Amino acid sequence: MKFTRRNILAAMGAGGLSLLPFSRAFADDLPSSLLGTNPIWIPSNAPITPVPTTYATAGRVVVIGGGMAGTTVAKYLRIWGGSKVQVTLVEPSSAYVANIMSNLVLNNQVSQSSLYFNWNRLTTYYGVQRIQGTVSGIDPVNRKVTLAGGSTLSYDRLVVAPGIEMDVVPGLESAAAQALVPHAWMPGTQISTLRTQIQSMAAGGTFLISVPKAPYRCPPGPYERACVVADYFRVYKPGSKVIVLDENPAIVAEAHTFTNAFASLGIIYRPSTAVVSVDAVNRSVVTSAGTTIKASVLNIIPNHRAGRVLSNNGLVNVGGRWAGVDVLTYQSTVAGASNIHIIGDSTSSGQPKSGHIGNQEAKICADAIVRAFLGLAPDQQVMTNTACYSPVSATKASWLTAIYAYDPLSQAMKVTANSPGEALSPSSDNLQEMRQWFSNLMTDSFA
Amino acid sequence: MAIRMLSAILLSAFSSLSLAQVAGTPPNGRLLASNCFQCHGTNGKAVSGMERLAGMSASELKKELAEMKLESDKGIMTVHAGAYTDAQIAAIAAYLATVR
Repeated sequence: MKFTRRNILAAMGAGGLSLLPFSRAFADDLPSSLLGTNPIWIPSNAPITPVPTTYATAGRVVVIGGGMAGTTVAKYLRIWGGSKVQVTLVEPSSAYVANIMSNLVLNNQVSQSSLYFNWNRLTTYYGVQRIQGTVSGIDPVNRKVTLAGGSTLSYDRLVVAPGIEMDVVPGLESAAAQALVPHAWMPGTQISTLRTQIQSMAAGGTFLISVPKAPYRCPPGPYERACVVADYFRVYKPGSKVIVLDENPAIVAEAHTFTNAFASLGIIYRPSTAVVSVDAVNRSVVTSAGTTIKASVLNIIPNHRAGRVLSNNGLVNVGGRWAGVDVLTYQSTVAGASNIHIIGDSTSSGQPKSGHIGNQEAKICADAIVRAFLGLAPDQQVMTNTACYSPVSATKASWLTAIYAYDPLSQAMKVTANSPGEALSPSSDNLQEMRQWFSNLMTDSFA
Repeated sequence: MAIRMLSAILLSAFSSLSLAQVAGTPPNGRLLASNCFQCHGTNGKAVSGMERLAGMSASELKKELAEMKLESDKGIMTVHAGAYTDAQIAAIAAYLATVR
């Protein structure tokens, strides 16, 4: 089985999810005993934006995938399109588990249960119809989506936001091997498995993490995780080591921050070094440099590709991995698929793969669909931003941001002249801002 | 005479704009302003910590963003404000001032 968020949650099944104490949109309902030392707080009385009933616009939109991008597009299609734009969200899971903040589960700063969100606000307040199901086929000619049970949904516009799928690393083909060597890059049970492995490791051990080949989801994430674990070891597992094997030639994001943090935390960094194969039982890897490295805990993050619903339906057309899109509308660039829009981490859009940018791609897509229903051309003045915070320890975080603007000459998103920018140094203020950023981002997407 | 004709044209343009607004035509500045919502909440209604933008006037918003552009501390908002032209900032501020 390839790794996808869908598969993991499907594998957990309804029974698995019911074992989790909480699956709700708002973390403030949780007893404080289940929260980390600094709870993430999203108020249950978060403002509700009205869905206008006066607009003449009408159209049917089916959204596949209820992650950061898919959920946001469903919400904004209603508040910008009005109540006559019918929106149906198809998502197999009963809960969304946030990837953002999940590295702080590893060092006990965030409870895993506080990262669970659902779509109740979308259905209750925004009139989104939700179907818990899996898509088995897309028919772009007749504009129909077929669900696993055989039923079909007709659409005027389809939005596909399936997130990523991962390559299978030699040695990690079996479920048993995957359980021993979690990627924990799509939090479900895997982040808990990794947390247990790290926290039960004997002092003096080695944590080895691999960085996938770019582009991958959350560019600072693997480096952030290495720092958070090394900082945890410094306090609780003295004498332990952290090794980072990076398939890329240099640190992909926040090079200034992570170069400094790696030096101060004593993290061993190996650029241009890929993981060729893994021995899950003996906990060792063979690298592209021909070396074999043993470790106490292995965290191998495989290379990424577009979600399977895209490859299965002929919508992957960039480098055999990604879905090409028009960045003014997020329409597929596959011939005959112009009524299909693709947003989020599966796209090749020239922008980083992150929940924050997926949220903005969703708004551009929603605006373009509403305009199309009105017979209007897409807005040419399109911009996005990637604001993102990265913890480097239990008490400090950094930030990185880049702003992108549409360039009509190249018909692509280009980073603006004054960006990217990154924090001068990690701070506790940044960590506090990170929690506020997460609360607002999740509310903008799910509430 | 010329002024009266111009007024008539403007009035007619305004009327069709009003009709279009009723039909849901995207207002100028809305898509640009939505870049603020990830951190400052949907329609600028922040839920936690970040500054609430809803309820501020266009001139207040423009003034704040203009000041942020020039700040020397290179904070995250200095980077963001510096990415937009003055015309874009005016459009963002005008839109945000209309949402509640």
